[in-house]
Amino acid sequence: MIHRIPIILRGTTIASLVTLILLPLVLPSASLATEVLIFAIAVLGCNLLLGYTGLLSFGQGIFFGLGAYTASLCLIRLGTGLLSSLGIAVIAGGVVAAAVGSLSIRRRGIYFVMLTLAFSQMAYFVASTSKDITGGENGLLDVPRPPLVFFGMQISSLATGSAFYAFVAVIFIVLYVALRRVIHSPFGSTLLAIRENEERALAVGYNTRYFKIMAFAMSGGITALAGALYAISLHFAPLSNIEFVMSEQIVLMTIIGGTGSLYGSLLGAGFMVVAGEALSAIWPRWMLLLGIILIAIVMFMRGGLWGGVEQVMNRFRSRKPQQGQAPPLEVPND
Amino acid sequence: MIRNVLLKTSGLGLNYGKFAALSKVNLEVRERTIHSVIGPNGAGKTTLFHCLTGSRNPTTGSVEFAGQDITRLPNHKRIGIGMSRSFQITSLFQNLSVHENLRLAAQGRNMVKAMKFWGAVESLAETIEIADQILERLDLAANADVLAGELSHGQQRILEVGMALAAKPKMLLLDEPTSGMGIEDIPIMTNLIHELGKELTILLIEHNMGIVMSISDIVTVMYQGQVLVEGTPAEVKEDERVRIAYLGEVV
Repeated sequence: MIHRIPIILRGTTIASLVTLILLPLVLPSASLATEVLIFAIAVLGCNLLLGYTGLLSFGQGIFFGLGAYTASLCLIRLGTGLLSSLGIAVIAGGVVAAAVGSLSIRRRGIYFVMLTLAFSQMAYFVASTSKDITGGENGLLDVPRPPLVFFGMQISSLATGSAFYAFVAVIFIVLYVALRRVIHSPFGSTLLAIRENEERALAVGYNTRYFKIMAFAMSGGITALAGALYAISLHFAPLSNIEFVMSEQIVLMTIIGGTGSLYGSLLGAGFMVVAGEALSAIWPRWMLLLGIILIAIVMFMRGGLWGGVEQVMNRFRSRKPQQGQAPPLEVPND
Repeated sequence: MIRNVLLKTSGLGLNYGKFAALSKVNLEVRERTIHSVIGPNGAGKTTLFHCLTGSRNPTTGSVEFAGQDITRLPNHKRIGIGMSRSFQITSLFQNLSVHENLRLAAQGRNMVKAMKFWGAVESLAETIEIADQILERLDLAANADVLAGELSHGQQRILEVGMALAAKPKMLLLDEPTSGMGIEDIPIMTNLIHELGKELTILLIEHNMGIVMSISDIVTVMYQGQVLVEGTPAEVKEDERVRIAYLGEVV
């Protein structure tokens, strides 16, 4: 399998590393760059489900919101450190996602999607009514951002925007490399098999339920991490984190970036966050423009932004043929 | 030489409401034989196949495999006991390479290893070896890197059987392996099944009488959800009831 992936794709780790370095230089502020990365993390989580397992979950906002609340509560009430708060949020996200996943995958196709949607609505009402815990409509205010301490050594106070960006960037790249490993592992290859043909996957012996629940747990943990970082970045955990709109946005970013492509996650999140920022400055009804762009991407770029990049690269390569080699086939695999 | 019974059904039946798609089927498939099930459209062949593979739960009766009751064993667990199936309508991982299709099929044998999420796919060397062996055997080695969906229909049918083979089963259940194949491709499939029959037990559901008669050890003829006749191909060929079943009521 590996040898079929065009060499340039194998280097997406390098491409994302370069992107991480350029992002704060190109964008007007470090906080905007941080926001791009945080959403890119959430999109990585969504991609694992949608792109690799073929599960369209409209429940990603549950895990994002849960991560934000969990980390904020740990920091405000328990006074735990930065890394342990993030860790607790990841575990909470993973556990809840496993539960939501194991119930939702009892149905397939559109019914599965509706179940995730129902869970998403439920989570929102739970969050908005439990005012004592989540702060209800007001959200959780004054979320502290403790310094980054590693084995008793303070590495950074994370007080500046660029220091926090660097922190998020390191998390992103570690996660990116880890997910690449997962995707190319026996487990990851089985997820692709389930996406391609679940009936056959069952027939050759896979208990597809376990694999889907595992994918959900991983996705939930990753999404909760993004939510936690978002709260710490804003010093605030608003109710909107757990609203349906959040689920929708994460799914849209995944599709725009390109399902089944990890680097596409960065493109999708970057595009949505930056376009939203830029368009909202020009015109208050910018969401309308975004809608038109979305329609264009879905209709003319089926592989999302990453699919477009691939097309351009393939065209460029076929201009200078290498000893009559056929252009590499597109493998929906990273 | 009498061979041991590997698969046995007793009084197997499946009702859809009042309609009995299958009733009172007693079948014994012996080790290392090619046992074919034939019958006109609507005879219950596919229903029987579904009950044997666990895709449908029978209403009555039981299925035993190697002495173990497997009537309600979920279909993904059947690989573990040594039963493997193919599909009548080609069911492959269309957007993955031929080699990857077979590798995934081989990987399904061991759930614990398949759950390994750290470490490359290549770390399960055995699954790659199995895939390579089967590629050779199916004469598809030249197409190892082609996407399964880009193979010719005949090659896809061959790969369909290969997928079932990758589980290293004791018994293969083949559902109309030649369906939709061109005349010139059919002998390849017939030879393959004939060769496999020397090592494995094969239950073959087939429409094509020519294939059935040339390679089967035992033929079971079904009609209206029941077993009509069972015997060697020669016996079945001579049977008047079979002729009537196939030609309809025109006697």
